[in-house]
Amino acid sequence: MPGLKIQKQPVELRPDLTMWKIDGPLDPESIGYIHREFDSVLETKQNFLIAEMSGVTHVSSAAIGQLMGCRQLLVERGGDLVITGVSLDIKSKLSAMGATKIFKFYNEMRTAINAYHWEVERKSEKVWLSFPPQLQFVPPVRQMVSRIARQKGYTQRDSFRIETIVDEVCNNAVEHGSEKVLKNIELNINIDREKIELEVINASDPDKIENLKALSTAMPKAPDAKMGQKRGRGLALIKMLSNSLDINFSGEGTSVHVTKLREE
Amino acid sequence: MDNETPYVFKVKFPSDLDYVAPVRKFVAETLTVNKFTPKFAYRSEVIVDEICHNAIIHGSRTVDATVEIECKIFPDRLEFQVNDQGGRKDDVERLKNVMKKADAHRADYLQDKDARGLGLEIVRLLSEEIKLEVGADNMTTVRVVRKREDA
Repeated sequence: MPGLKIQKQPVELRPDLTMWKIDGPLDPESIGYIHREFDSVLETKQNFLIAEMSGVTHVSSAAIGQLMGCRQLLVERGGDLVITGVSLDIKSKLSAMGATKIFKFYNEMRTAINAYHWEVERKSEKVWLSFPPQLQFVPPVRQMVSRIARQKGYTQRDSFRIETIVDEVCNNAVEHGSEKVLKNIELNINIDREKIELEVINASDPDKIENLKALSTAMPKAPDAKMGQKRGRGLALIKMLSNSLDINFSGEGTSVHVTKLREE
Repeated sequence: MDNETPYVFKVKFPSDLDYVAPVRKFVAETLTVNKFTPKFAYRSEVIVDEICHNAIIHGSRTVDATVEIECKIFPDRLEFQVNDQGGRKDDVERLKNVMKKADAHRADYLQDKDARGLGLEIVRLLSEEIKLEVGADNMTTVRVVRKREDA
């Protein structure tokens, strides 16, 4: 039976990253071989390694333990060892060994590289959305942003707060935007591991701008409900839930920029 | 909204599978608020999932690639298109071949090994029209039309 084979290859999309193409059985006899190959990775100062395991035919706990040790060394350097392309059969065996709680598994290479950008390089990701200025479209928009935050690892509580901010800002954009210029509302999302930035841009109604300016300068004090004040609560809520809020008024459009730091 | 002026939505997102679920659910929810049936909305979600998945896996060659989806919601139909930034030549050729065979109504296209895994058979099954355009640098646009079932 042929033994384990590890081919070290550059990643096509990111040639500065290293991939291990692993073929054959990950059995106890392969421990020394894994150790030697890993030493050569450490010599190149690489701290992120993608193990492509579609050709793996067998896994033993000893060999997986060796890979865990390799991963630990990379994690201590601020990197990781992640696994892609693993078959369902091998994945279930790895799961029984508890390896799925240690390693991160990705279905394909592109997702593993995106994880490197997010986790190690801490790059931000941008989403742009344009929707008609109608109130009934705000719930799908706010839920999409909340789902993105959850997907990117924000907690349920953080995601819900982000959803509340998006709801308030977008409702304001619809309610206070121009009724004459039927231009779509734009939402720019910039998300990274530490924070989410939201920018909502809508066509302004010149007749409402002075009222809006008065409301925005009254922040952060919440309006007095006993006094019958009903406007301005949304802005006060956004101010409470976010870390910064900027509003820019111009003759053509209003832009609201909110930053919310990840809390947990 | 009338038959000539649809509601138009656009989303541009990183070419990353993490974004597919939020985007497909967004499309389904906008259809639901426009009084399309839950069945129509869910089947549209399935189509968006397949096409966006293809755009990410087969239509993104650079690390900062993006995918753009535009939805036009008419009272009687949904039209949408997904644009990617161009995949590898062999992936695009594979996609073109599958579409060509399908357009010619060849019964064997579903059994074709090239068609498997692209999800196109599901998209074609659930939609009235599907068109593929390959532009400069292999940039690919997939257009889909779905007619309201209860109209």
